Amino acid sequence: MKSFFTVAPLALAIAATPALAQDTEQTLERMQQQLNSMQQQLNSAKDTGVRFNGFFSTGYARASNDAGYAGITEESEVKDLSLFALQGTFDVTQQSQIVMQLVGRGADDWEPKVEWAYLSHRPTNNLQLRAGKMRLPFFMYSDSLEVGYAQPWARPPQSVYGPIAVTSYVGADATYNFNFDNSSLTANFFTGFTDEDGNSGDVELRNVAGLNLTWTDYVWTVRGVAATAEADIDATRLAAQAPAGAEVNTVLADGDRGNFYGVGASYDDGRWQVIGEVTRVEVDGKFADTDSAYLSIGHRLGTWTPYVAFGWVESKDDEERLGFVTTTGGDPLAPESILNFQREDYSVGTRWDITPGVAIKADFTHSRGFDKGTGNLNPTYILSSGTNSTNVYTLKLESAF
Amino acid sequence: MKKLSLLFAASLLASPLALADVVVIGHPGGPDSIAANEVRDLYLNRSKALPDGQSAKPFELPEGNASRAEFHDKVTGRNDAQLKAFWSQQVFTGRGQPPEEAGNAAAVKAQVASTPGGIGYIDSADVDDSVKVILTP
Repeated sequence: MKSFFTVAPLALAIAATPALAQDTEQTLERMQQQLNSMQQQLNSAKDTGVRFNGFFSTGYARASNDAGYAGITEESEVKDLSLFALQGTFDVTQQSQIVMQLVGRGADDWEPKVEWAYLSHRPTNNLQLRAGKMRLPFFMYSDSLEVGYAQPWARPPQSVYGPIAVTSYVGADATYNFNFDNSSLTANFFTGFTDEDGNSGDVELRNVAGLNLTWTDYVWTVRGVAATAEADIDATRLAAQAPAGAEVNTVLADGDRGNFYGVGASYDDGRWQVIGEVTRVEVDGKFADTDSAYLSIGHRLGTWTPYVAFGWVESKDDEERLGFVTTTGGDPLAPESILNFQREDYSVGTRWDITPGVAIKADFTHSRGFDKGTGNLNPTYILSSGTNSTNVYTLKLESAF
Repeated sequence: MKKLSLLFAASLLASPLALADVVVIGHPGGPDSIAANEVRDLYLNRSKALPDGQSAKPFELPEGNASRAEFHDKVTGRNDAQLKAFWSQQVFTGRGQPPEEAGNAAAVKAQVASTPGGIGYIDSADVDDSVKVILTP
């Protein structure tokens, strides 16, 4: 009995041999057809798809004093650098999709906030229209300010990205791509208003309108932007100057015209990465008009990209701040000149790409010039200590998926 | 002597495979050729259409793949870490999604063969008549 079972398949196999070649071919063909139809089903499932992406950052930073550069003080636990973002892309039709990005920050007890929520439509290959909540694209890294993984530095240069606290707006934009043989030009027009509250609620912009142009030949990128808005600015930090119980007049702009200009360029040939930007912010009234710039040079050595960066920010309308910050009753509290800026930032650091998708960055930044104005730093500490500079040490882990 | 000549013949046969170049392949219903800068525009989110106007569906090999490295070296000039940083900026500013990844050359070929507007790149040794070669970068 046992031997029958071992012999039978063998006998069958021998008997079937002449027909085998033809059978195999037919079977293969059938399988190929099945595979093709499965592939098509899989493709159509993807077309009506939903995709999720996200990014994550965490880190540790501490400063040599409490000047509050980038919010960093001597006590590192005061500023939680952690954040987690999840983005869903939902295809509505082939040309339209809805994108929503939720960001939870450790500093906000991980309470998720919607940073992007818009409907995008692409009527032609070169034109994209969007409406909803989006990031303000003032400067080169403004719309990806928190996507640390996409940046070479541990922190975007504070000279340019520090003074403006607003990050997103509600409105619409149109983007047109002109593709040339070896380069491309992207024109983006945006309009809307800001609806920020909470941690950066001291700046409100209405009737925002702006245009930015980006040209790239894939090694060089040149970008220019001009934007205008009506601004309400309430420097709530100034309230710290007041003695207990006193109300401080902290409104620096109330429906005043604000203009934003920027020119940026970058060079990236795979080894050298050079990025520079020059920006100007003008707001009528007491709010400091600033000119700022930075230049950053990085060099890729395998998975390491060490960089040096120099940043500079200076207020241009100091003659408008010769008086005193007062209480609502009119008592002087501090000279308005504390709102001035004339600061220089020197950074040295490195990015280390552990694996595609995960990078570690270490940075040392020395910032000085606080005696000429505390700008957006902590005036209480700087005035009482006479501090002129700060050193900030940062270690960050960043990921995108 | 016989063994040596056999070895020589074998190496002749093997060398075209070992030195095979990456080629850009397209769906049989798509255009017959495409310029290198048009392929670059597709893979760097500057364009979404093939030269004949139909909507393009680019496919990518996984990170670390030799053909992927060769393709990007020749066409986009970017390495895996640069591409990842580039796409994270594109994705999280809502400008677009990276090309879909297929696990290996066979999967890229199957996807391109079955997706209208499909475009991909594989080693020329892996090409068969289910797809057509539209560019040798």
